[in-house]
Amino acid sequence: MLATLVTAVINALRGEIVRVEIDVAPGLPVCHIVGLPDAALSEARERVRGAIRNSGFEYPLSRITVNLAPADRRKRGSAYDLAIAVGILVASGQIRRGGGSWALLGELSLSGTVEPVAGVLPMVATLQHQGYRRVIVPAENVNEAQLVAGVEVVGVVGLDDAARLVAGPRGRTAGRAVRRPAVELSGPRPQERGPVPRRATRLAAELEPVDLIDIRGQGHARWALEVALAGGHNILLIGPPGAGKTLLARSIPGLQPPLGDDEALEVTVIESVAGLLRDGGLRRERPFRAPHHTSSYAALVGGGPALLPGEATLAHHGVLFLDELAEFDRPALDALRQPLEEGVVGIARATGHVRYPARFQLVAAMNPCRCGHFNDAAQKCRCASGDPERYMRRVSGPLLDRIDIQVEMERVPTTQLLRGPQPESSAIVRERIAAARSVALERNGGRPNAQLPATAVVEACRLEKAADNVLVELGAMHHLSARQTHRLMRVARSIADLREHERVSADDVLAAVQLRDPGTLFDQRAAA
Amino acid sequence: MDERTAWIALASVDGIGEEISGKLLAVYGSATATLTAANDGRVDAWIAERRRIDGRPPINGPALANLRAMAADPTAPLRDAAQRDLWILTPLDADFPSRLRDLDPPPAIIVGSGNADALRGTRSIALVGTRRPTPAGRLLTTRIATRLVECGAVVVSGLAIGIDGAAHSATIQAGGTTVGVIGAGHDRPGPRAHTGLREDVVESGGALISEYHPRTPPKHGTFPRRNRIIAALGDATLVVEAPIHSGARITATRALEIGRPVFVAPGRVGDWATAGSLAVLRETPARPIVGLDELVEDLGYLAPEQTSDRAVTTAHAALEMLGATEQVVARRLLEGPASLDSLVENTGLAPAVVSSAVTFLLMRGWVQPVGPTYVVAGILVR
Repeated sequence: MLATLVTAVINALRGEIVRVEIDVAPGLPVCHIVGLPDAALSEARERVRGAIRNSGFEYPLSRITVNLAPADRRKRGSAYDLAIAVGILVASGQIRRGGGSWALLGELSLSGTVEPVAGVLPMVATLQHQGYRRVIVPAENVNEAQLVAGVEVVGVVGLDDAARLVAGPRGRTAGRAVRRPAVELSGPRPQERGPVPRRATRLAAELEPVDLIDIRGQGHARWALEVALAGGHNILLIGPPGAGKTLLARSIPGLQPPLGDDEALEVTVIESVAGLLRDGGLRRERPFRAPHHTSSYAALVGGGPALLPGEATLAHHGVLFLDELAEFDRPALDALRQPLEEGVVGIARATGHVRYPARFQLVAAMNPCRCGHFNDAAQKCRCASGDPERYMRRVSGPLLDRIDIQVEMERVPTTQLLRGPQPESSAIVRERIAAARSVALERNGGRPNAQLPATAVVEACRLEKAADNVLVELGAMHHLSARQTHRLMRVARSIADLREHERVSADDVLAAVQLRDPGTLFDQRAAA
Repeated sequence: MDERTAWIALASVDGIGEEISGKLLAVYGSATATLTAANDGRVDAWIAERRRIDGRPPINGPALANLRAMAADPTAPLRDAAQRDLWILTPLDADFPSRLRDLDPPPAIIVGSGNADALRGTRSIALVGTRRPTPAGRLLTTRIATRLVECGAVVVSGLAIGIDGAAHSATIQAGGTTVGVIGAGHDRPGPRAHTGLREDVVESGGALISEYHPRTPPKHGTFPRRNRIIAALGDATLVVEAPIHSGARITATRALEIGRPVFVAPGRVGDWATAGSLAVLRETPARPIVGLDELVEDLGYLAPEQTSDRAVTTAHAALEMLGATEQVVARRLLEGPASLDSLVENTGLAPAVVSSAVTFLLMRGWVQPVGPTYVVAGILVR
C-alpha cells in the first residue's frame, strides 16, 4: 500500500517542500530510503522502527521503500522522521487518514517522543506559501511555527499524538497506542515533560552584560562607542590589557535599540535554522555574537559539510564582537571583508553554494602589541623592536579600512576608579542612540550613516559653511583620499545626529577626526 | 690605477679590516703597491712569514681570495657605488669630513647617498637613545631636535627604531638637516619600518652614510662600530633614555674618547628606561640635560632669535587667541601629556567637545600626538 506525506527541508535560509512516499509491500522485511539521504537521514530507519514499536504500533514485517521527492536534491537532517513513521503507519494500514492533509516536521527518539528540529520557522513559512494549511511540529517548536500567519499549527509530544491527528476523530488507529513502561524508567513520561526549552549554546552568554554606570573613566572611548552604535559604524578599540576594552564591549547589548518587525523576522529565521531559538518566540533584541579568537574559518563565515550559517550571519542586524582581533586566523578575518562590504556571505563548497545575509556591525578589540604594553607609560613593553608594527600588520589594511572608528584606550588610574564622578547609565545613553538612529534612518531612507553610499554622503551631511572650510583645510593638509573624506563625513554625520544638529557643523567634523587615528593623520611617524 | 682607487678597493675587501690593511700599508708603502703585491704573490710570502713568526696567518684563506679578486679588478667598488648612485669619501680626499679625522684610525671609506655637505655643517650634534623609548623620551627627543634645528645644527643619529627615528623625523619636520649612519652596507640599510624615513632624510637635504661596502650584511659588531662615527660627526653627543644595555652608552663612550662633550637626559632613580643614562652620568664626565635653554647654552649655541614678524611669541599670548574650550584643553596640556580620556576627565568637558578642540589645536600645530597621548608643540612649547 502506498502513502504520500508532505514535509520540508532547509536550504540556506529557505524551506523547500519534500514529498515522502512510502510503499509497504510483501517481501523480505527491509527498509530502503532513496532520494539522496545523508547519514543522519539514513539512520532515520532505526529511529523510526524504535519509535513505532515503542509507541504501541507494529513495525510491519514487509518490504518498505521510502522515497524522498524531488529525488535529485540532497536531503540532510532528521526532520523527516515523523513523516516517515506516520507514512509507514498509514501504508501498513494501522491508521486511516481521516484528519485531512497534514504536513509533518519532527525528529523521533526511540521512545516515540518527538524531538525539536532546527529551521521550523522558515520551513512552515514555505509550506504556508505553497498552500499547505495544517502543520504538525514538535511541541518545543510551536512558538516559532506560530509566527507564520494563516497556518494551523499543532505541536505534538509523541508519535501517537501525530498518528491521532492524522487519523482524525473518526479515524481508526490499530494497536494499543500505549507507551511501554520502559519510558518511565528513563525519565518522566513524555506528556508530563512538556516543551522544555533546549539549552541554547550561546557564546555571547559567556559575556555578562554590563551597565555603563559601572564603567568609570574612559570618557572618550564611551563616546566613541556611542557614535558607533548611533551610526552603525564599525569600531576598533586598541589598548593595553586591563584598559577596559572587553568591559566596554559588554555594555553594547544594553545600548542597542530593539529590532524592527522585518529585522526581527530575519533574525528569528536565522536563529531557527542555527538551532539557537531558546523560547521559540520572535527575537526582539539585537544579536550580540562574541566568537573566541580560536574560532575557525567555517565558524566565522559559515560552511562545513552542511553549509551552516556562521557567526557573521548569526550577528545579522546586530553586533559581531571580535576580542583580540589580531589573534584571529588571517584568512578568517579576510573572509569578513565580503560581508562588511556587501552585507552578504557567499559560501561555495563541494556540497553546494549558498549565500547568507550578514549585515553586522563589527566591534573589535586588540592589544597594541604582543605583550600589550606598547606606548604604555606605566609598564615596559617586552616586545623586540619592530614587533609592535608586525603585530598591527596582522590585521590587513583592507579590513582596517572598513573600520570607521578606531580609538586608543589607556588604563584608568586608580584614583579615577575610586573617586571619579558617577558616569551616565546605559538607559540614558541608549535613548540618545535610539533618537539619533531613528533620525538617521528616516533621513537616509532606512540606512544607518555608516552605510551611506559615497554619492549620498554630501547630501546627507548638509555641511555648514565653516564645516566645509575645515574639511577642505584637512584635505589639503593631509592629502585625504575620497574614501577617507567620506568616512570622516559619515562619522561627523553621526556625531551631529547625537547632538541633534540638523546640519553638520565644523565642530562635528573636528570631533570626527579624533575617532580615527589622528596620530597617523598628523604625524606619519609618531610611533617610529 | 691611482692610489685613491686602490685605497677604496683595499678598504672594500671582505674579511680585511682596518688593522690588517694598516699592516699591509706599512709593509708595502701604499694601497697601489699592496694590490700589486697581492697580484704577484709577495703577499703570500708575507703571510707565510708572519705565520712562521706568530704561529697563525694574519689573513685567512677566504679573505686572501677576496684580496686577490679585488687586486685583479680594483675598480669594482667604484662601479658598485656608481650603480647605486652612491658617492665615496676617503681620508685621501680633501673634502673628507674633518670631524671624522679625529678618529684613530678614521674610517677608510665613507659610502653615502644624499647631500655630502651635511657631514661638514658648522654645527652638528649627535642625538641617540634606546630602541624602546617611553612616550616621554620620544617627546623629549622631538623637542630637542626641533630646538637644535632652530639653532642651525645638523642632527646625526643611527636610523634605528625608537629615539633615533624620532630624532631624524623631528629634525625633518622642523625643516632641518639630518645625517643617518647605517650599521651595515647600503643594500641593508636598517629597519623596514623606516624605509620612508630614510627617503625623507635624503630628500630633505640630509645624507645616509656607511663605512662599509654596499653589499656588507649587518654582522655582530658592525652596529657598535658605527657608533664611533655617530659620535665623531657630532660636536657633542646627546643621550635620551638609555637602558643598562644600550648602544647609546657605547656612542657616549666613543664621544668621550675623542674629547667630545656628552650630555645625558637624566631619569628617575630606579626607572628601567633611563638606568643606563644615570650610569653614564655617574661614571663619566657627561653633563645632565636640565632644560632646552640650558642645553643650548651649554652647547655654546646662541639662543635662537625670535623672528620678529611672528605675531605670537609666547604661549600666553597664543592662549589668548583661542576659543574658550580650546583654552581649557591647551592649559591642561601645558601641565603635561594627556590622553583624550584623561582630558575628558580633567576638564569636565564632553568628549565630543574635547575631541574637536584637540583637532583644532592639531591643525595649527600647537599640539601633537605621542603614542596615545597629546603634548603641546609649536608656539606652546616656548
